[in-house]
Formats: sequence, C-alpha cells, structure tokens
Amino acid sequence: MKVSRRNFIRTSGLFAAFTALAACTPDKPLSFQPFTGHSSGSGSIAVVPTAVAVTPPTMTVADPLTVLTLSRISFGATPEMVARVQQIGLDAFIDEQLNPESINDDATDQLMSNFPTLTMTPAQRYALPQFGQPIQELVAATILRQWHSQRQLKEVMVDFWSNHFNIYIAKSLCRVLKTDDDLDVIRPNAFAKFGDILNASAHSPAMLIFLDNAESQKAAPNENYARELMELQTISVNGGYTQTDITNVARAFTGWTIVGRNNLFKPFGTYQFVERIHDTGQKQVLNLTIPAGGGEDDGTKVLDMLAHHPMAAQFISTKLARRFVSDNPDPALVSALTNIFTQSDGDTPTLLKAIFQSDAFKNSAGQKMKRPLEFLASAMRLTDAVLTGKSQQLVQQVKLLGQIPFDWQFPNGFPDTASFWATTSGLLARWNFGNLLTSNKIHGVQVDVKSLTSDAQSAQDVVDVLSQRFLGTTLPDDARNILLDFASTGDLGNNLASIAGLILGSPHFQVR
Amino acid sequence: MDAKLSRRDFMKLTTTRMSTWAVSSALPSWMPRMAFAPDGVEPPGDLLVVIFQRGGMDGLNAVIPHGDADYYHLRTSLAIAEPSTANDTTGIDLDGFFGLHPSLKPLKDLWDEKALAIVHAVGSPDPTHSHFDAMDYMERGTPGEKTIETGWIGRHLQSAPWQNTSPFRAIGMGGIMQESLRGPIPVTTLQSIADFHLQGDVSQLAEIRKRLESLYSLGGSLDSIADDTFNAVDLLSKVDISNYIPAGNAQYPQTEYGTALKQVAQIAKADIGLEVACVDIGGWDTHNAEGATDGDMPKLLDELSSGLAALYTDMGDRAKKMTMVTMSEFGRRAQENGSGGTDHGHGNCMFVVGGGVNGGKVYADWPGLAPDKLYGPGDLNVTTDYRDVLAEIVEKRVKNQNITQVFPDYTVAKTLNIVQG
Repeated sequence: MKVSRRNFIRTSGLFAAFTALAACTPDKPLSFQPFTGHSSGSGSIAVVPTAVAVTPPTMTVADPLTVLTLSRISFGATPEMVARVQQIGLDAFIDEQLNPESINDDATDQLMSNFPTLTMTPAQRYALPQFGQPIQELVAATILRQWHSQRQLKEVMVDFWSNHFNIYIAKSLCRVLKTDDDLDVIRPNAFAKFGDILNASAHSPAMLIFLDNAESQKAAPNENYARELMELQTISVNGGYTQTDITNVARAFTGWTIVGRNNLFKPFGTYQFVERIHDTGQKQVLNLTIPAGGGEDDGTKVLDMLAHHPMAAQFISTKLARRFVSDNPDPALVSALTNIFTQSDGDTPTLLKAIFQSDAFKNSAGQKMKRPLEFLASAMRLTDAVLTGKSQQLVQQVKLLGQIPFDWQFPNGFPDTASFWATTSGLLARWNFGNLLTSNKIHGVQVDVKSLTSDAQSAQDVVDVLSQRFLGTTLPDDARNILLDFASTGDLGNNLASIAGLILGSPHFQVR
Repeated sequence: MDAKLSRRDFMKLTTTRMSTWAVSSALPSWMPRMAFAPDGVEPPGDLLVVIFQRGGMDGLNAVIPHGDADYYHLRTSLAIAEPSTANDTTGIDLDGFFGLHPSLKPLKDLWDEKALAIVHAVGSPDPTHSHFDAMDYMERGTPGEKTIETGWIGRHLQSAPWQNTSPFRAIGMGGIMQESLRGPIPVTTLQSIADFHLQGDVSQLAEIRKRLESLYSLGGSLDSIADDTFNAVDLLSKVDISNYIPAGNAQYPQTEYGTALKQVAQIAKADIGLEVACVDIGGWDTHNAEGATDGDMPKLLDELSSGLAALYTDMGDRAKKMTMVTMSEFGRRAQENGSGGTDHGHGNCMFVVGGGVNGGKVYADWPGLAPDKLYGPGDLNVTTDYRDVLAEIVEKRVKNQNITQVFPDYTVAKTLNIVQG
C-alpha cells in the first residue's frame, strides 16, 4: 500500500526535522552558551565556579521555593538561572521573566536564522520543493527555543497556549500556515489578556484551516470551529451551550476565511472576511442576541462574549492551575484564580503571579510529572548538551519519548496530567534517553559529564554535584545510597556517564 | 511442548540455553510456548483486537445504505454510487441494501468467507457531540457517567475468571494508553518492539538496570509502572524480533496503524500471553473535503481495511481464535455540509472480523434517513447499543461471563448472535 501524503508527514517528514538544522551547524554550533547579561563575562552574575578546588565542590544551591518555582517556569533550572535569582531575588526574577523583552535573547534569535521558512510567506513555503520543510523547521525551532531561550517562562506559556489552541501541523495547509500562527498569534500573546489571544487565534489562517472555518458558508455552515471554540477554548463542555448555540456560532463566523492560492490581489494564506458567504440573519448565542444585518462583527461579538463568560474564567484558571500546580488543583485555588481572571480581564501575568504566590503552589513540589518535551529539554539544558551535527537519532528519541511538537491530531492539545504519560513505553524511553545522552550515543549530540562534575574526586561528590545540578537538590538518602553504591563499584571515571544517566532516569528527575 | 512452565522456569530455561535445539525444533514458531497461568485457569477465549477510529468515522459513507433513497438526497456530492459490477468506483453490494465503500474492497474477501460481520446504526446512547466526552464514554463503557475511571477492557481483565501474569496480557499500541485499558491489570504500551529494550553503555547495562530497579522500589508513584516495564522488557528480550515476515504474503499498510497491527501479530505469535491489543487509527474528523471516492476518507478506509485484512491473513490458523472489532466515538451528520465534509453525528457502523464471527451479514435495525427519523441535529439514529456488540464478543468469544462488571449498570438490550459460541 502506498503511504499517503498525510502519513508521509506524520512519519518521515517529522523524522527529518533536524536535518535542516544540522546543515548549518558547522558555522553556528548550537551549544548552550552563557548569554549576554547572564554570563560570567558580563561580570554581573556569579555562575557555577569552574576552578575551585574544595571538597565537596561548590555547588549552586537554591532554597526549595526557588527550586520549585524555577522547575515550573522553565524547561530546566540551569545554574545560571539559579545564580540570577540569587542576585536579584525570586520575585524580581519572575517579573523579569514576565517581561521577556527585557531579557537579551540574541543568541536564540541567532539560532532561528538557521530556519529560512520562519521568515517566508505562506506562498513561499508552499512553493518549496521539499514538502515537509516548514514542518521540520518549526518543530526543530520549537525544541531549540525550549532548550536554549533565556525567556524561559515565555516558552512555557507558548507551550501552554500552543496546546490550548492546538493546531495539528500536518493537516492540509496548516503545514505552511502554522509557522505564522506560532510567530504572529501565540508568541506575541504569550502574556496577553485572554480575550486578545483568543481574538488573534480566531483570525489565524492556520486555525481557520485546522477547524475548517475557512470553508464554512452560509448555505451550510461548518460547525467544527464553533464547537471547539466553546468546548475547548473558552467555556468548556460544561458551558451550558446547546446544538442551536453551536449552529449559531458557526453562522456568526461564516465568511471568516483565508485568501486562497489563486487570488491575484491579496497574499495567499492571510485572513480575510468574505461578505458574500456570511449569514446575515439574526443569531442567538447563549444570552447574546446578534441582530440581523451584521457582518464580520458577528464573530467578534461572539468572541467577546465567550472571553468574558464566567465559565471561561473558570476553565482557563483550571488549566493554568493544572499546568503550574497540580494535576488535580485545589478548588480553592481555582476559585481564587477565577475571581482574579474576572477582575483582571483575563490578564495572564496577573494570574501567573497569583499562582506563584499561592500556598497551593508553594506546597506542590513534585506534583507534576514532566511531559516528554519537558523531560527532553531539561535533560539537554542541565547536561549542557551541544548539538554538533545532523541528528536523526535525536528526532527518533523525541518520537519514542512520545511528544513531537504540533503532532497532536486533536484540537485539545497534548494531555497535561501524569496518568497519560506514566506508561511502560514512556518510562523506558526516558531511561534510554538519559543513558544514551550521557554516554554520547545519540549521534550529533555531545555531553561532557566530566566538566559538569567540576573537579569532584569522590563518588559521593560526583553523585551530589550531579544531583544538585539536575534536581536542584541532593537526592534523599535512600536514592543517594543506591547511586553511591553504583558509583563506588569500579572506576569512578568510567562510571560518570552512567551515574548522570541514572539520575536522569530516576523517579526524581521525572517530576518538576 | 505442552508442559506448562512457570515464568521462573521459563526464564531459567532460556537463559541457560538448556537444550536449545531440542526445544526450538519442536516448536511451532520462533518462540517456545510458555504459560503464565496454572493449568485450568488459563485464558480460554479469543485474542481480542480493538481498533479505535479516532475523530468519528463517517459510517454512512463506509457502509453505504444504497437502498435508502434519502442517502442520495442528503449526500449530494459525497454519495457513493449504487453498486455496479462494471465500475470500481461504485459501492460493493453486500445484501441488496447495504454496500461497502469501494476503498473497503480488502474487506470483500473476508465478507465472502463469512469472517466479517457489520453492525450499522450502532453507537452510544449518550447525545454528546464532543469528541472527548464521546471517546471517554465509549472507552470507559459508561455513557453519560464521568465518575468511573476504569475502561471496559480494564474491567474485563479484572473480572475474567482466569489468571494470566504476562506483562503482555494487554497491550496498548502507541505512546499513550487507550482509556479502555485503564484498570488494575498492568498494561504494556508499545510503539516499537525493536526499541523496547534498555539502551545505553552496553558494558554497564546490567548494573544500570539493577540500580534503576532499586530507584523505582522506594515507594514512588511510578514504581508499579517501572515494575511492569522491567517485566515487559525481560519477556520481550526472549523474543527474536528480527526479520519478521508476515504469513500468507499479508501486506500491512506502511503507516503507524499498519505497523502497530503487524507488531500485534508478532506478539501474538510469540505466545507470550497476549489477550487484548488496542490499536488506534486517527484522522476521521472529516468536516472538510472528505472525498467521495478520492480524498482523505477513501484513503483512511483503504488503510483501515488493508490493515484488518492483513492481520487476519497473517494470523493464519490463529485467526480462528481472534476477534477484531472496530469502533469510533460517533458517526457523522447525515447531510453533508457546505465544505464537502460532514459534521459530528451520532449512529455509526462497526466491523467485527475473526474466525468465530457469524459473518457475511449486516446487523442493523435500520432507522432510515427521512427527516423525522434522524436524531438530534440530523444524525443517523442509534438502534443498537455498542455495548451489546462488545458484551457478546466478551462473553462468547473471549469467554468472560461477568458482563455486569464489564458494563456496570447496563443490561444487554438485544442478543445479536454476531459471533459463535
């Protein structure tokens, strides 16, 4: 049987995601480097001491709240981040992260120049000879940003919204349009008010294609976007809407579409409203009456009503609490956040600060299992892994771990609770990834465990330094003893990689 | 070799390579037989393969009611033409009223062999049109009930009167476990047999393994999953997975779904205690450009049916003790929409394939597609509860009589006699 075009993208296209990236690596090694403003070179921040001969070696030790907070607002708390917190304080660090423009991230931007499709128009991406190139580059760019960006909380929120407004990248034109959704809808609105990102998403050509609104016409409206807009993006399945509401929302959005490929006057793949296919009749949606004779504004009115609906406040608050606190967030926290959502008009930074200040958050250490991408990025960040060339094997590992960005077919986004990720194949993939990474068996990725252990001489120092680095704290005695027993069997130097691999594979590293 | 071995004996046997030649030469396949249950309490029934078509299959365009004139009124651009032997883009007639979509041609041989039965106008009684609620209800086997967290297969395994300690008793293909498998019996999820072993610095793997086991014995929440993982890895390490050649020249689709089915056959033939396998095939949410005889839906139907036919062929004689059943969260709106697709609907069709199936028949209490016969916003009505189909398979083929535990608070509405036994 022939492989369908769709399945081609699902498999080989994504498999090749890192090849585009590898082509540019000799000139621009994709290593994690201390960036301007956060480097020892700037003289402003203390980083991990590199030449201190003491036993035990000096470690960047943070208080538990810092460890917890950094693990939730980043894809892995590097020593540089810990040092920055110790310099300016945790609250100021959070404020800094909430103002991403204040953080220099030139080095990450530089990495993005390896991906030409990020700056192309949809028409240019469409014309590429290599069908899967836009997908490969966006997937690789996303993983690299999580791995390298200094604006870590922004990346966490980009991940959150990318899943909340999930678009399966291999569905028809989403292949060439999701890049714009990422760059123009999700990223600039990572810290926006909810109504603003909802509005941006509703106009997103990729979303209009993914949920079929682009094809919806007054003669026979397509309900896909209307339903998921209410069920998954705003007021939730418990929002009290009926089939009639869905039909009327679909009618309100008729005419919201994209410019097609053969349009001589407007650029392909951009949003446009087409009056002629819009249903101008009166529509009732929940308590909102939209009078007859309206146009594009009919949809805007629906978005405005949904963004300010109490059920949306509760739904988004629940999802944020689930993301940042616990799989089963404390109802009191959700209720408090729902009030803040309403008072702040769905202001993301206000909500995040309220979460970080809550007791539920402070008492939630270890309650979130890392999703595969969080596991991957944290392992890369904390081992100072360097991408040295073509790494098909890294892509294969991402696939085995089970979470290729944008490779989720449903509009609900990747699951955010441990029960989905705690599987036999998932756990095995994590153990293997830890072992393969630290023993330099993933072709194209380099890790120097020796340099991470500083000048540690004893098994005890090695275990402590590595766990401090990977986990933000030393291991509890029972786990520590297991590793000490291993570390002191045979030659310590030969065991370094496996000790590091075991910590990455340990239950302690699977949580954040 | 019929003598039952305990799992420990088996490990000893294979690890010491005792009488390797004698054992292997006497065996039917590339695996020595083994048992995970004492005599008399081993699984008596069929291997159950459950295929979930995620997104909501358009059952009206898969098994077309070409004898219902309303079908042609509702599907102005998507309708499949009435069967005609002269043309391979028309429906393939089954019984004068129903026909197969031409892309389901691989199922025709199974139909003729009476190894394929079809149930139509079947589904869940819950009115939800949400993918996620509908899937949850369907996989948990508890429509409308959100508090029961186990799945129907999980409860079947729990309530079955036999024993089976194999970590491959139930497998979920793909990275994420199907909700239907959720329950107290361990489930192994699997993407790739070839990758399902511990990897790293080979000279240290044994030691690494030992320490990982210790690290996952400290009382953490992942301990039991880790234990399942070690057991599964150990068992699969005894299986020769190289150069698997499907029997009977079976051609699996070269897709994740096809690969998953092929691996189910490999594991089944390894005789490592497989009872239930769940396989997903996605992409059925055809709101737009569904395609009548060319397009997304026909491609999916080809993939679906090629896979079913390949597994049946590959299993050879073993297919006599295998039942495959397909399901999807809901069907689609009877009338096509303005974008050449169909919106979320209600009633659907299911395929039941296997050696013990009373095949060659469409089981349907056809409600009709006239306006006053449609359900909710204009959907095919459900006249057969999907649990009636599953319950009968579980009871007669899989041989678990404890149906009230598999489907709590449900009384089977009608006996279909869709399977033998």
